[in-house]
Amino acid sequence: MKFKYLGKSYNRPDAINKVTGKAVYLDDLRIPGMLHAAILRPEFAHAEILNIDTSEAETMPGVVKVVTGKDCHYHYGDNIKDLVPMAVDKVRYIGEPVAAAIADTLPHAQAAIEKIKVSYKPLPVYVDARDAMKKDAVLIHKENGEYWHLPTIKATPGTNIAHTYHLKKGAGVDGFKDAEVIIEAEFNYPHGSCTAIEPHGSIVWFKEDNTIEVWSSSICPFIIREDLAHSYGLPVSDVRVRIPDIGGCFGYKSDITVEQTVAWIASFVPGYPVKWVATRQEDFTSTLIAHGIRSRIKVGARKDGKLVAIQNEVIHSGGAYADTAVNITIAATHNCTGPYEFENCDLTGYTVYTNTPAVGAYRGYGHQEAQIAIERMMDLLARKLNMDPIRLREMNYLTEGKVNALGERMWKSHGDILTCSNIVKEKVFTKAKPQEDENYYYGRGFAAAMKSPKGAPFSTKGCYMKMNIDGSVSVSMGGAEVGQGLRTVVRQVAAEALMIPPEKIRVYNEIDTQYSPYEWQTIGSMFTTQGGRAIIRAANRLIAVLKNNAAQVLKTDVDYLEYDGEYVYLRNDPDIRVAVADLSRGYITLDGITIGEYAHAVSDARLPRYANPDENGQGSLGVNYTFGATAAEIRIEKKTGKIIVDKFTSVFDVGQVINPRQIRGSVLGGVTMAVGAALYEKLDIDAEGRINNPHMFKYHIPTYKEAIPMDIEFIETPDAVGPFGARGIGEHSVIGPAPAILNAIYDAVGVDFYEIPVTPDVMKKALEARQEN
Amino acid sequence: MVEKISFTMNGKPVTVETDPEMMVLDVIRELLNLTGTKHGCDNSTCGTCTIVVNGKAIKSCNLPLKKIAGAEVLTIEGLAKGTQLHPVQKAISESGAIQCGFCTPGIVMELYGLLEEKPDASQAELENALNKHLCRCTGYEPIRDGALMAQKLIQERK
Repeated sequence: MKFKYLGKSYNRPDAINKVTGKAVYLDDLRIPGMLHAAILRPEFAHAEILNIDTSEAETMPGVVKVVTGKDCHYHYGDNIKDLVPMAVDKVRYIGEPVAAAIADTLPHAQAAIEKIKVSYKPLPVYVDARDAMKKDAVLIHKENGEYWHLPTIKATPGTNIAHTYHLKKGAGVDGFKDAEVIIEAEFNYPHGSCTAIEPHGSIVWFKEDNTIEVWSSSICPFIIREDLAHSYGLPVSDVRVRIPDIGGCFGYKSDITVEQTVAWIASFVPGYPVKWVATRQEDFTSTLIAHGIRSRIKVGARKDGKLVAIQNEVIHSGGAYADTAVNITIAATHNCTGPYEFENCDLTGYTVYTNTPAVGAYRGYGHQEAQIAIERMMDLLARKLNMDPIRLREMNYLTEGKVNALGERMWKSHGDILTCSNIVKEKVFTKAKPQEDENYYYGRGFAAAMKSPKGAPFSTKGCYMKMNIDGSVSVSMGGAEVGQGLRTVVRQVAAEALMIPPEKIRVYNEIDTQYSPYEWQTIGSMFTTQGGRAIIRAANRLIAVLKNNAAQVLKTDVDYLEYDGEYVYLRNDPDIRVAVADLSRGYITLDGITIGEYAHAVSDARLPRYANPDENGQGSLGVNYTFGATAAEIRIEKKTGKIIVDKFTSVFDVGQVINPRQIRGSVLGGVTMAVGAALYEKLDIDAEGRINNPHMFKYHIPTYKEAIPMDIEFIETPDAVGPFGARGIGEHSVIGPAPAILNAIYDAVGVDFYEIPVTPDVMKKALEARQEN
Repeated sequence: MVEKISFTMNGKPVTVETDPEMMVLDVIRELLNLTGTKHGCDNSTCGTCTIVVNGKAIKSCNLPLKKIAGAEVLTIEGLAKGTQLHPVQKAISESGAIQCGFCTPGIVMELYGLLEEKPDASQAELENALNKHLCRCTGYEPIRDGALMAQKLIQERK
């Protein structure tokens, strides 16, 4: 299909604002009368609070109020209400809010919290789920099982297991009896951090009229609104949340994170807006962290390479509060098959309370953490079967008609993984590998990828579209622009749907729950798919209004009329027509009488038939999939053990490219993050639960000189849901790099890794151990 | 301890009366309300607080106010002339170098400092300059493209 405005690299509508310093982010907001908060964090990762003495802090210069969690009686959370805005009688992780000072300036607030004295009784600390799951482990939440939770959440009271998800497909474990070859291994994807360049922050204002106003660096304004309304007993309409520009998210600004804490603090000074912005250290220790997923995986196959059964235990160190981790566990568990068909699956995921910051979303949402295991297993199995690893994958891909672990039959519109795989094979594996030389070993590795959204049945995205008197159009949505470029997507899709140039479409900047249409939250690489569908629906409704107006003007029935973006005209005689601009506010006749309706439309879109899991963990939990294939070509420096990615190749079936420059940018950034995870990044959490590298100079994210040369290509098998066939791509690029690199390391030096990051030290030690053997 | 310190900000003389040890980033954002310069880390790592002082790009988050007494200071707000963007801004806004935009002001100021003084800066000089900046969104390739485009625009301007 030929499109007029899709497939072209229009500039971002927010580029000029951002390059002139005029884009407004949370910390740039100054509300009249605003006060500043600083938050005290504990000395222990798990301890009872015996006493808090705030008396000296209260006398410090500029201090308006000192706040503790005493008397806080409410819990919050969307899946499990296990969260508290501030520690009440115990602390469960090192970055937890214990007390706060509100002052006229931030330095005054910071000085005041230094004077708060807290005495603790330390408790045993668990940073690894395997320890927290032990029978005699002290309970991090003695209330486990008693908290309000969604009906799909299954806690084990009296343990630290917050949720167990179990999926059985076919004969489950009994399926292994048909296997001729079985392999088992254990993999670990350790805790990391999203590390957006903009830290988290919020402003909360309890107003004298009993309404609440909030500004936050968050992608879920409507959740914040509903959550605060619930906690403070207000109608949802009395809480207003606004989202300014967001300086990167990558997952950890989804779900409710810091907002409830800032609200708790601000609730003590009604009438005053209170601002809190995380220091970089707090952004690491006191917002959501990532991953912490261990897989104990077993795969069975026939000798010809046909996969028959998979068993996996996904053990998720979920952090001190499990509300944000449970769905990641679920996504990791049912997506751990990767893009392969297994007739028999027995998959169990445990979300376990541990004494770290709560684990939350990170670009990829459980997929890379689980698929590192399956993509390594495919190489290990191929080796055991003496097969080419890509050939083994080709035999088992989830192509059209195959059935995934959830029992969902794959449609042609889910995309063509075999073609992606073939392109990568052709690009990377048909040429000779460089020969080992004096300084380097060379290797290359393959990994395929599958990504489903992890939504919720009620997840929807709204679109409000209004036509102005000159025929230009204003579009507002609830989708958060975190850098992914959704404003560009909205503009291009709306242009295509309305058949008017993008230059005549102005896309919203700010989200405001008072004016913006509802959106659950901007997650799961679903904005283009669901939001784009909502745009098309709204555009069709708007065009219908224009046609109805034109029918009255042209004195005919609507079904004789056509619309082309400029005119509504009679199909058989296009000269009988009326300009769209003249229809936009209704049509004004020569005698001044206005007939017809104002041209505006609202719509929304969900995934079709998205469902909760059944008793076997199966159901339409994915609905929409994107597949791809990737390969790493690496070099290992003999002297240092340093791994250099010479080239990373990614091929995805995205259905329809909307903006070539932006989609390349998305994959460039995703691959870079995931290479960071594979080679450098790991939160250094010690046995006491302390995070020892909570700074950018210690937690190393990839730098300019570490940029990776990339070959990125897209194929286009139109999607059934997304606008004009487009599907999601925001997270998919992070899935392949870690397993592809680990597979490449084996190819280079014959060493198998089961855990990341493979830092130069780790690699060097492995090389030395190999020589000793 | 409070002192009066004067300097030029985006071409206009200003005087602030505050602690001379206050970091320039805080002076710019909190006292002068120029919020285009961003606060990303707390220890001179991410580079988004970069400004130009006497023609040189410098991170402002660990630069005490007293060091800029009498200096000519330029922030991201001072580059465009009305709607006419500086070549660095034009290039960076069109190369795909902007996603979330939070690192952008620092990168623009870094390139401004380098290329206005050295339009023929070598590849190594560009790399060294840009290596002072962290970007989590773009994978850096579009930033390199933007830097090269900016260099070309500046060379052609002269």
